[in-house]
Amino acid sequence: MSTATTNPPAGSSAPKAANQKPSTQLARAGKWARRAPLLPALIFVILMTQLPFLATLVISFMNWNAYYPDERGFAGFDNFKRVFTDVNARQAVVVTILLTLAVVIISLLLGLGIALLLDRKFRGRGIVRTLMITPFLIVPIAAALLWKHALYNPEYGLFNGALKFVFGDNAPQPDWISNNPLWAIIAALVWQWTPFMMLILLAGLQGRPLDVVEAARIDGANGWQIFKSMTLPHLRQYIELSGLLGAIYVVQNFDHVFTITSGGLGTANLPYYIYQTFYTAQDYGRASAAGVVVVVGTIIIATFALRSVFSLFKEESR
Amino acid sequence: MTTMTSPARTAGATRAADPNRKQHRSPKAALEWIALHAFAVAAALLFVLPFVFVGLTALMSDSQSLTPDLWPTPFVWHNLVQVWHTPGFPTWWRNTLIYAVLGTTLTLLSSIPVAYALACFRFRGRTVAMMMVIATMMLPPQVAIVPLYLVWAQDFHLTGTLWPLIIPMAFGDAFSIFLLRQFMLTLPREYLEAAKVDGCSDLRALTKIVLPLMKPAIAAVGLFQFFYCWNDYFGPQIYTSENPAAWTLSYGLQTFKSAHHTNWNLTMAATLLVMAPVIIVFFFAQRAFVDGVTLTGVKG
Repeated sequence: MSTATTNPPAGSSAPKAANQKPSTQLARAGKWARRAPLLPALIFVILMTQLPFLATLVISFMNWNAYYPDERGFAGFDNFKRVFTDVNARQAVVVTILLTLAVVIISLLLGLGIALLLDRKFRGRGIVRTLMITPFLIVPIAAALLWKHALYNPEYGLFNGALKFVFGDNAPQPDWISNNPLWAIIAALVWQWTPFMMLILLAGLQGRPLDVVEAARIDGANGWQIFKSMTLPHLRQYIELSGLLGAIYVVQNFDHVFTITSGGLGTANLPYYIYQTFYTAQDYGRASAAGVVVVVGTIIIATFALRSVFSLFKEESR
Repeated sequence: MTTMTSPARTAGATRAADPNRKQHRSPKAALEWIALHAFAVAAALLFVLPFVFVGLTALMSDSQSLTPDLWPTPFVWHNLVQVWHTPGFPTWWRNTLIYAVLGTTLTLLSSIPVAYALACFRFRGRTVAMMMVIATMMLPPQVAIVPLYLVWAQDFHLTGTLWPLIIPMAFGDAFSIFLLRQFMLTLPREYLEAAKVDGCSDLRALTKIVLPLMKPAIAAVGLFQFFYCWNDYFGPQIYTSENPAAWTLSYGLQTFKSAHHTNWNLTMAATLLVMAPVIIVFFFAQRAFVDGVTLTGVKG
């Protein structure tokens, strides 16, 4: 905290600070007068975004089920005990982590490959790029419906239709969703998120300093060497950015799980688990406790794994 | 999978090889050229095919849509008209538009001053405030749904309307605040310092100096928020499901599908109508979107 306020201006405005010394009090008052119109917005927003979390925390310690209104009261840690001993809740944690990791990693790799292709000049590049982006623009609920019914459906879906077309009438006609429910969801999400990754990575590739690449080539570096030690380091922050944004959205995914499997077949993730506890079981206390667990888990993961978020703070030394 | 390894190997060859490719096309280069085009076309097809499938199925007759046929014979353009005249559909469309336009406007109005305060003011607790915003951004909306729902349902009696979706947008959106703030940090500080020396208030500095410089970021954030509102499914399901007059397209589409599950062509036509505006908006604003996101997230 203190570093943020003392460090950054040290270099640039040190002399100015010395000048201000005599009239510090006055300057400070003037500064706050200038700021005044904007501060309420900040305080208000912070209050409004944090209040629901506080309320969630309070409810998580209450025994509160809409089906049994008379039993409302203080519950201590009961809700948390129930969340931690609930097999479904633990499963939901595992599913959320698997889903997020798989979708982000696969779509990043695919997106990187396609971005590298589209970085080269060839006829029709603009059209290919525009076509590539389309899946990202489809309303998620529509995309989920599309995958479930138009592609995965064992009778008239495109996948089994294609199998029949290629292998004839004796082609295997698998039931895609029942056989691999989690992968069915992952594939649909990868299809939507690859274009996003590609878009950001392509922007990164096109901002690459080409003279250095050319110099390396003259010095005899081959394609792989240039990719590994020049392109990839340059892309690192773009990869982090797109991965982070993708992860934020995939963790919250509800539409695909809800539409494709309705959370069945072991595919319920945390958002779906909370939804079910809240909406179907009407157990407000336990749903809130699950919410609190998600908050704590996210903070832990963010602190340890998502260093890149916090490196943004360090970079603000301007 | 092959698409992943091959560009990696040839990545560096990209631009350096470009200018002189035409002059000496050795057999190897020609092969590479063919391979590149094949991969690019295959990748594009893979991602576009389902979309084409939607378009074609939307134009099939009722009986044809349940067969494995791919090409509609004849083209039934009337499907689109029929979907549009389904009871409720125009209402859902209007509701979604209200939600997306009002939501985006309110988000920008409320998030810009907050982002400015977080980017340009130095005060005790600024880092903590920023951390809170980021933490909020990363949490699923389901986390705090219980108290929010109870407040809207039991205190304000506003469930079954669009208000529980729109009003929170006036309280700022963490993701927008984050992106806007990151962009503001990239602006040259000298402008602001100069303005302050001249006695300019922060509100005026924001509207006269910062805002005009921030058009790309505002466009990107606005687009993101527009897409978010247009696509939102969880919110409408929780808050509006009890009243069909307040449904949005995404929720309506789900019920439309249940009601017309045998008329697969109509569901696809409805899907087409739902996603059309987003695609149109995006193609006009593609540049702004990419520039805004990359400028904001990756400085320098």
